[in-house]
Amino acid sequence: MSHVAFQPRGPRVEIEADFVVVGSGAGGATAAVTLARTGARVAVVESGAWRDPADYPASVYGAMRDMLDAWGSNFTRGRAYWPIVQGNLVGGSTVINSAIAVRTPRDVFERWQREVGVGGDLAPAVWEAQDDIERELCVEEVPPASRGRSNLLAKKGADTLGYEGHFMRRYIRDCRGDGQCLQGCREDRKQSLNRNYMPEVLARGGDVLSCAPASKISFNKQRAVGVVGRFRHPQTKERGAEFQVRARKGVLVAASVTRSPLLLAASGLKNPMLGKGFRAHPGTPVFGVYDDPVDMNTGATQGWASIAHREDPGFKLETLSLPLDMLAGRLSGAGTALMERIGEFRHIAMWVHACRAETVGEVRSTLTGQPAVHYTLDRADMLRFRAAVYLLARTHVAAGARAILPAIHGMPYRLMPDEIDQLKEAPLDPRAYVAILSHLFGGCVMGRDPAMSVCDGRGRVHGRDGLVIVDASAIPSNLGVNPQHTIMALARIWANDLAAA
Amino acid sequence: MIWLIKVAMRAMMPRTAALPGIEDTDLDGFLRRMKRDADFLYWLGLVAGGVVFAISPILTVFVPLPAFLLPRGLLAKHAERVVSHPIYVVRQAAFLVRLSAGMCWGADPKVRARFALAPYAGDPGTFRSS
Ligand SMILES: Cc1cc2nc3c(=O)[nH]c(=O)nc-3n(C[C@H](O)[C@H](O)[C@H](O)COP(=O)(O)OP(=O)(O)OC[C@H]3O[C@@H](n4cnc5c(N)ncnc54)[C@H](O)[C@@H]3O)c2cc1C
Ligand code: SF4
Repeated sequence: MSHVAFQPRGPRVEIEADFVVVGSGAGGATAAVTLARTGARVAVVESGAWRDPADYPASVYGAMRDMLDAWGSNFTRGRAYWPIVQGNLVGGSTVINSAIAVRTPRDVFERWQREVGVGGDLAPAVWEAQDDIERELCVEEVPPASRGRSNLLAKKGADTLGYEGHFMRRYIRDCRGDGQCLQGCREDRKQSLNRNYMPEVLARGGDVLSCAPASKISFNKQRAVGVVGRFRHPQTKERGAEFQVRARKGVLVAASVTRSPLLLAASGLKNPMLGKGFRAHPGTPVFGVYDDPVDMNTGATQGWASIAHREDPGFKLETLSLPLDMLAGRLSGAGTALMERIGEFRHIAMWVHACRAETVGEVRSTLTGQPAVHYTLDRADMLRFRAAVYLLARTHVAAGARAILPAIHGMPYRLMPDEIDQLKEAPLDPRAYVAILSHLFGGCVMGRDPAMSVCDGRGRVHGRDGLVIVDASAIPSNLGVNPQHTIMALARIWANDLAAA
Repeated sequence: MIWLIKVAMRAMMPRTAALPGIEDTDLDGFLRRMKRDADFLYWLGLVAGGVVFAISPILTVFVPLPAFLLPRGLLAKHAERVVSHPIYVVRQAAFLVRLSAGMCWGADPKVRARFALAPYAGDPGTFRSS
């Protein structure tokens, strides 16, 4: 077993394994541990560094520097420039996410079958895998002591309005509720995959190369036989030694929705569907101002959610605590007005929506080989988006907020409770909002028809042998719920299939 | 270029009677670190934000002077208007400046104490090397 971190220029690092997995996030780490448990020799190649809780940054600046892909500077190319947030370290986005675990709804499988001709048969296996994953990663409901006032207020608001809302179930053991999930859990309570599956891969005799972005998949005729790349220092960005991993049995790709299609294209795949079928759950916050301090950074980062409107009109609601060092970016205004607004920080609760958007975009490559996501929400999605904003405002009012801060360009900064109906007419121009994309899908979508998809219903890339997609890029639709559980279950099933083949 | 960014950040997050401003934090150190660490695209965006802030008073307060030559009151007005400017790219450029300023300001121990928040433990920047 070995972990090989950044290697300066020098002799090429060469490794041989049964399988090589590119990327160690939700999909990659799950696939790797699944294969390792079958007794196979597994190597994982991860472009980011391996950081443990003692290495985690405390500030938002540190998180951008040490944990985010490209400093979070990926953004949608379209009418609006919305940031696309992804992790870039061992454990991938699971290190920076809120660890919310939601099972794949039945209608998702029906939709896949109807629209892309595969996936309808996956439901029982996915749910069984999710049972196992929940046991392994200690999924539990946010404990009462860690709920925090923002989460409790959201529950009260939804109860008052009479719609479903619940305390979340998350991959977290004994959450202390210090609201810092987005910078990694320094308390080591969150079960991000750098803390469990990746160490298990090592313990089972696998190899992990960190600071090691794969640049190409190697083929022998149609068969994927390994990957090559060059180490990159996580701080200085210095380019180090080359590496080559030869894989006797297969290559699994889990470099994320934005990077997997680019890696396949750079490796010579000509499928015109590469990068197509990009989807997301864009979300934006609505703030409530309360008489008593809310102190949203005490309590679980995300502790309450509602899926009551997942099908109609199509969004999910969640609480989300915002660190003080992110606040200036989210409130509008500048100068003394901004400082006065920030002064209310302790009295503010931020709740967000994740819009189940149907708009389809595309991941392309820039001239420098970086991902460029072309994506603009259409009118139908903006109507959903606006409906979610309005409901969040109503929920704040029902929970007792004395004012609402909608953070929409062209709207008043502050709305009194009797003024929130103005949000029914809020702009439908995406440029009026600062939204974030963190739930991403597609780019290497699965499907029955090789002309309309990149891989089949088992993640196997059409027209190639031994090449399997095991991350969110294979997912051909939105889910309407948080994606990590679905991604991990698919990765587990497809990795088991591959091992059995 | 750093001084242009500083002018914009100071105007966006000034000291008030109730709160320290960004000038009360280690802004120079923060920008030096950011220049060294940041992804090229991020830094480019921030520099562009500083430049847009400097040259846009003509669009906001209708004065043909760069922001750094504006008298105090007009500079404050410019800062308020530029972040909500009707031209999207103008306000987006300013958004990145405000976001980055907020990261510096909100991580300062004096500022955090005002909000009953513990000081940050630090960003070790370390990782497993073997
Ligand atoms: C802030 C945030 C909060 C979220 N909260 C939740 C939540 O609470 N619950 C939930 O279900 N989902 C959540 N999500 C979404 C969820 O984390 C992602 O959907 C999921 O992690 C995606 O899995 P993935 O394997 O496709 O990609 P990732 O987890 O992003 O992993 C991809 C990995 O590949 C690596 N990589 C990229 N290119 C290369 C290359 N060329 N060579 C080698 N390695 C490479 C990356 O560094 C990364 O480690 C959140 C996401 C974010 C950003
Ligand atoms: S809320 Fe705090 S203790 Fe709980 S998982 Fe997140 S970072 Fe860890």
